[in-house]
Amino acid sequence: MSRAFLVLVVLVAFSVTLLAAELATSAARADVEIANPCRTRAAFPGHGLDAVAQRIVLDGLDGAACRLHTSREELVLSLGNGERRWDEHTIETALRAGLLRAVDASEQRGDLPSFLAPLVRGVVERAPLRQLVEGGLTLRDLLG
Amino acid sequence: MAGRRILVALVVAAVGVAFADSSIVVLALPELYTRFDTTIERVSWVVTAYNAAVAGAALVLIAVVHRVSAKTVFVAGLLVFTAASIACAAAGSLWFLVGARAVQGVGAALLLAGSLPLIVSLTGSALRGATVWTLAGTLAAALGPALGGVVTQALGWRAIFVVQAPLALCGLLAAVGVHTAPLLEEGWSRSASRRLPANACLALLFGALVGVLFLSVLLVITVWGYSPIAGAAIVSVLPAATVAARPLERRLPRLAAICGGAALLTTGLLGLALLPFASVGFCAAALVFCGLGLGLAVPVLSNAALELGPGLSRSGTLTIGIRHLGLVLAIACIAPLLASDLEPAGHRAELRATAVLLDAPVGLGSKIPVALDARSEFARAQAGEIPDLSRPFDAHGAAHDPALAAARDRLVGTIEDTITRAFRPSFVLSASFALAALVLAFVFRRRLAT
Repeated sequence: MSRAFLVLVVLVAFSVTLLAAELATSAARADVEIANPCRTRAAFPGHGLDAVAQRIVLDGLDGAACRLHTSREELVLSLGNGERRWDEHTIETALRAGLLRAVDASEQRGDLPSFLAPLVRGVVERAPLRQLVEGGLTLRDLLG
Repeated sequence: MAGRRILVALVVAAVGVAFADSSIVVLALPELYTRFDTTIERVSWVVTAYNAAVAGAALVLIAVVHRVSAKTVFVAGLLVFTAASIACAAAGSLWFLVGARAVQGVGAALLLAGSLPLIVSLTGSALRGATVWTLAGTLAAALGPALGGVVTQALGWRAIFVVQAPLALCGLLAAVGVHTAPLLEEGWSRSASRRLPANACLALLFGALVGVLFLSVLLVITVWGYSPIAGAAIVSVLPAATVAARPLERRLPRLAAICGGAALLTTGLLGLALLPFASVGFCAAALVFCGLGLGLAVPVLSNAALELGPGLSRSGTLTIGIRHLGLVLAIACIAPLLASDLEPAGHRAELRATAVLLDAPVGLGSKIPVALDARSEFARAQAGEIPDLSRPFDAHGAAHDPALAAARDRLVGTIEDTITRAFRPSFVLSASFALAALVLAFVFRRRLAT
C-alpha cells in the first residue's frame, strides 16, 4: 500500500471517528424535555415567598395542562394568543382548578402557612384569569 | 515567460470570480433579506438565478462554442458579467437584483467557456492549462462564502458586486495579449460520451456542495448568530483544507482520489448533520473533511471530464453546465426540505425555551419581565426577523445576576441546538449526493481510472 493511500485511509478513519465523537457527545447531553404535566416532577427550588409563589403557579399550570391534555409550555404559549386550541372558558376553568389544587398541595407540604391558604384560594377564585387568557391582561398587569 | 504568467493570473482571477459567484452572496442573504423586506424563499433566488443561468447558458453554448473564437466568447462573457455586476450593485429592488444575477450568470457561462482554451493557449499545454482552470474553479467555489462574508461586513452587500467588476475586467488585459483560433468541428465524439460518468459525478458532488457552501453558512450566521466576518473565519477552513489536499491528490491514483474525496465529503456532511450542539469545533472539523474531499475529488473529476484535444472548449462548457445544473437541482431539493423542517423546529424551540424560562431558578421580579420581552422577540421571529433572545436577559441584569446569566445561556443554547438539529435532514440529503457520486465512481471505475 502506497504512503499516499495510507494517508487517505487515515483521513477517512478520522472522519468516521468525528461521527462517533458527535454521536457520543449527543448521547451524553441532557436536552431540555417537555415533561408530562400529569406526572409529579421535582419541585421548584428555593425558600421564601417568591419560591412558594412560583411552586404554586408552576404546579397550577401543570394541573391545568394535565386537564387539557397538553404540556405546561403549550398552555403558557396559548395565553393571550388568538390561535389557541381551546376556548377561553375551558382554559379559565382548567387554570383555576389547577391553581386551587396547587394551593392545597402547597398547604399540605407546609410551604404555605394554614392561615394564608384561604386568602390565596380567594385570590385564585376571584383573579381575572379570563382576561389573562384572552390577552386583554398581561401577567405584568396581574402582578403589578 | 513572466508576462505569460501574469496573463494567466489575470484570466484565472476572472475565472475565480465567476466560480466563486455561485456562493459568494450566501453570507449577504440576511442583509438582502432585511434590505428588501422580503421572504427567505424569494431572497434565495439571488443565489439560484445565477447558478441556473450559468447551467442553462452553458448547456446552450455547447452547440456553438466550438465555432467561435475562445477569445471572442471570453471577452463577450467578461463584458456581460461586468455590466451585470454593476447592475447588481445598483439594484433598487429584489427582482431587479435577481434579473441582474441571471444576466451575470449568462456572462459567467460565456466567460468560463472561453477561458479554458485561453488558459491552455497561454500556458502552452492542454494538461497544464486544464489543471490551472480546474484548480481555480475548485478553490474559488470553496472560497466564495468566506470572501463574501468579509466584504459584506466590511463594506456592505453592494460591495460584493462592485469588487467583482474590476477583477473580471482584469481578464480583458489578458485577452488582448493572446491569440486563439476557433476549434472547428469538434463533433460529438465517442470520447465525449465517455466523459459523462465524470460529469455525472461532478454534478452530484456540486449538489452535495449545497450542504457545505450554503447550509453550513446559514447555520453559522443565521442560527448561531456569528457576524459575517466571524462566519467567514469559520468556513475558511474549507478552502484551506481544499488547498491542503492538493499534494495528496497528486500522489493518489485517480480512482482513489475520486472515491476517497467523495467518501470524505460524505462523512464531512454527515458530521455537519450530526452536530450535537451549536459547536464551532465540530462544525470546523466537519468542514475540514468536506474541504479535503472537495480538493481530492473535484480536480481529478474535472480533468477526467475535459477533452484535452480538439474537443476542449465543448467539454469544458459541458462540465460547467453540468456541475451548475447539479447545484441548482440540489438547491431545488434541499430548500423545500429545510423550510419544512424549520417551521416545526421553531415551535419545538419555543416550547423548550418556555420550559427553560419557567424552570429557571430566578426570582419572579426578573422572570416575568424577561418572559414578556422574550415573547416579543419570538413574535419578531414569526415576522421573519432574527430574534435576539439574549437581549431580554441582558436588559434585566444578567451581567450582575449569575442565575439569570445561566438561564440566558441555557435558553439560547436550547434554541440553537433545536434549530441546528432541524438542518439534519438537509445535511443528510446533501451527504446522499456525495455518496451517490462515490457509488457512481465505483460503478464506472474503469472509465474513470484511465
